[in-house]
Amino acid sequence: MDNLGLALAILGAVSAALFAGIGSAKGVGIVGEAASGVLAEDPSKFSKLIILILLPGTQGLYGLLTAVLVLSQIKVLGGNPIDLTVSQGLMYLAACLPIAFVGLFSAIAQGRAAAAGVGIVAKKPDQSGKAITLAAMVETYAILALLVSILVVSSLK
Amino acid sequence: MAKLSMKRIEIVALLKDRKKIMERLQRRGIIEFSDCQDEALIKMNTASFVSQFEKNMNAAMQAKEILDEYAPIKKSFLSTLNGRRAIEKNEFGRYVDQSVAYLKNCYDLVDAKKTITDNQAAIIRTQTLMDSLKIWLDLDIPMQFRGTNNTRCFVGILPKKRTSEDILWEMTQRNPALEMLHVEVISAFKEQTCVVVICHSTIAEDMNETLRQMGFIFPSDPTKHAPKLRMQRYEDDLIRYNREIDESIHKIKSYADKNEEIEFLVDYLAMRKEKYIALNKIALTKNTFIIAGYIPEKYAQKCAEELEARFTVVINLTTPDDDEDVPVLLENGEFAAPVEGITEMYALPTKRDIDPSSVMAFFYYLFFGMMLSDAGYGVIMVVGTAIALKKFNIEGSMRKSLKMFFYCGISTVFWGAMFGSWFGDIVPIVCTQFLHIDAPSLALWYEPITDPMKLLLLSFALGIVHLFVGLAANFKIIWNEGKRADAIWDTIPTYLLVLGAAPLAAGVLTSVPVIVTTVGKYMALAGILFIILTSGRASKNIFARLGGGLYGLYNISSGYLSDILSYSRLLALGLATGSIAGVINLMGTMPDSIAVKAILLPIVFLIGHPLNMAINLLGAYVHTNRLQFVEMFSKFYEGGGRAFNPLKVNTKYIKFKEDIHNG
Repeated sequence: MDNLGLALAILGAVSAALFAGIGSAKGVGIVGEAASGVLAEDPSKFSKLIILILLPGTQGLYGLLTAVLVLSQIKVLGGNPIDLTVSQGLMYLAACLPIAFVGLFSAIAQGRAAAAGVGIVAKKPDQSGKAITLAAMVETYAILALLVSILVVSSLK
Repeated sequence: MAKLSMKRIEIVALLKDRKKIMERLQRRGIIEFSDCQDEALIKMNTASFVSQFEKNMNAAMQAKEILDEYAPIKKSFLSTLNGRRAIEKNEFGRYVDQSVAYLKNCYDLVDAKKTITDNQAAIIRTQTLMDSLKIWLDLDIPMQFRGTNNTRCFVGILPKKRTSEDILWEMTQRNPALEMLHVEVISAFKEQTCVVVICHSTIAEDMNETLRQMGFIFPSDPTKHAPKLRMQRYEDDLIRYNREIDESIHKIKSYADKNEEIEFLVDYLAMRKEKYIALNKIALTKNTFIIAGYIPEKYAQKCAEELEARFTVVINLTTPDDDEDVPVLLENGEFAAPVEGITEMYALPTKRDIDPSSVMAFFYYLFFGMMLSDAGYGVIMVVGTAIALKKFNIEGSMRKSLKMFFYCGISTVFWGAMFGSWFGDIVPIVCTQFLHIDAPSLALWYEPITDPMKLLLLSFALGIVHLFVGLAANFKIIWNEGKRADAIWDTIPTYLLVLGAAPLAAGVLTSVPVIVTTVGKYMALAGILFIILTSGRASKNIFARLGGGLYGLYNISSGYLSDILSYSRLLALGLATGSIAGVINLMGTMPDSIAVKAILLPIVFLIGHPLNMAINLLGAYVHTNRLQFVEMFSKFYEGGGRAFNPLKVNTKYIKFKEDIHNG
């Protein structure tokens, strides 16, 4: 049990990448399905649609970012992990929760918003900026969660 | 700068000059036509011309697509940036003389394409027919053969796979009286057997009945001759179809050098179409015609003089009434013009609004750079856009966008240098991992990850400045409308409250001198007081006024709190770029051996950084837009104006080589 603190910290890092990654995968998948329908009709809209498809992908990156931040701070990446008490480990775990869960759900919600935006691109391609803006609204909450995660992780140093 | 002021223009001219005047106005592209409604005047109906032009234009566009499909002109991606081909005026005239011939070429191309698609369909049809005939190929009599004087012949299909012995045996089982028959199986498959049965004519009726019981059917399309003959005909058809397709393709390819002519035709027809749509709006008398419309004031005088010098015209310029739906055209200086596209994406300004482009331009570049915040990526943006702008003749909104990214790139380099991020931490990594020396920090200011709080406070501070500029724009609008008291009461208390509360809130995160918080406290209190007293001033009732004041206080404080917190994305996205770049560099230096690292790092670098740059460019763009649209525009901007849509040379491939505003 002497490594429990470290294990908890790693659990935190892994769940940040895990849940945010699941969310992004689902979100990007949802938009991709919707976009394929439009592309079948008009392949020239690819460049506009790819932006919408990528939007829910950022949560996964935020998760990865938090994970790497934690892993490098507890020196798992360097090769010789530092000793952590259980409460320190729990702190790292807690720090990772915002981006893990907000990432998971916001990516899916953003995927839905972007998939609806695909309809705008299909019917009024010149208004695609608005579709992007609407989908980006959802991202705000992922960014806030990322911010909290980063602030907590960096304060634990 | 900003919105161009518009004049109403009325041109009365002689009917005989109509064509020349219209064409001149179209090349100038500065007048938006409005419908001339007057019962005393005659209107032209040009709808049939317009639809004829549209039909021809479609043919020309199809012809262009066909040429692109069968005889593509090899163009590099970069050369597509090169904009439209400039042609001289007399060259244009020469093209116009030939336009009928060009149109014939287009229809030829469309016909050739039609032959190809028709024949392709015919080939498929013939192949299915051949497939269904194949099973009868071994039959050497016509399928329609019904027998001789004394015999009856049945050519048809029985269900299931059988041999002739099977069939004979089943027939005699069903009707033992049947004799003197000949059964021959032509072909047999799992689900059916093609069979010829010959019997004496005396037992034909019985035979017919027995066969029916066995499930015998006659073929749906029996041949008059031996099936081989029909097969031969099908094969000949196929050869002919293929030959015609080859001929048509050859023909299409022979038009490959006509590409420019067809491009011209597409544009020429588009121009004429636009002109005839405009003609629909003008009004006529017996000898004169009248154009009404809007013209930007700065071009109005020049345009009037130009027309007056050449034609017999009367031109009347007036200032539009307040209730008129005047179209909007934006014009900004070098620095603000690039973000006009962002304004247009939101909505054009209405009559009351000011053009927000110049208000937001500085913040747009600033925030974009802060979010992307990697000097290496910034340098790529600056160099890339500068080369594109310099080397290629890029026009219109594309040019504006490139310029916008150029300025955003400069800002990115600035912030990247401040934070010491050049492709993440590639320089320190190379120094420590390969050269084994300690690299000094490259940051001109500091590395955000070491103390994110400091940058978070800066983000909020920049946010407050951004919001205050928006509020100041609102002040200016209301002040200029003459409602000076409203201008003061709508903005000053908010300034006091936010400015006063900011140091108090900052005190939670960092240490703030006592004197500042004390002053802040009183400013905030004064702001709260003013807001409560003035927000509800629209209503007469004292209690409604107080209620309105409290509601206003709630709105302003909660609104500004969430607005300011929203600027934390400046920090978050900035950290994300640098950290992911760091992760990429880290991945390249994971192995222990220096040799492996030296090979791996460049590969990871070349794959990872473009990816990171792309995704963060997208993020920076989207979230900078959001900060303008949601946080700043809500302070002063309504939007919903109508874009200025002049009669102009609205072309895709060609443009005129003269000093005109043809878009």
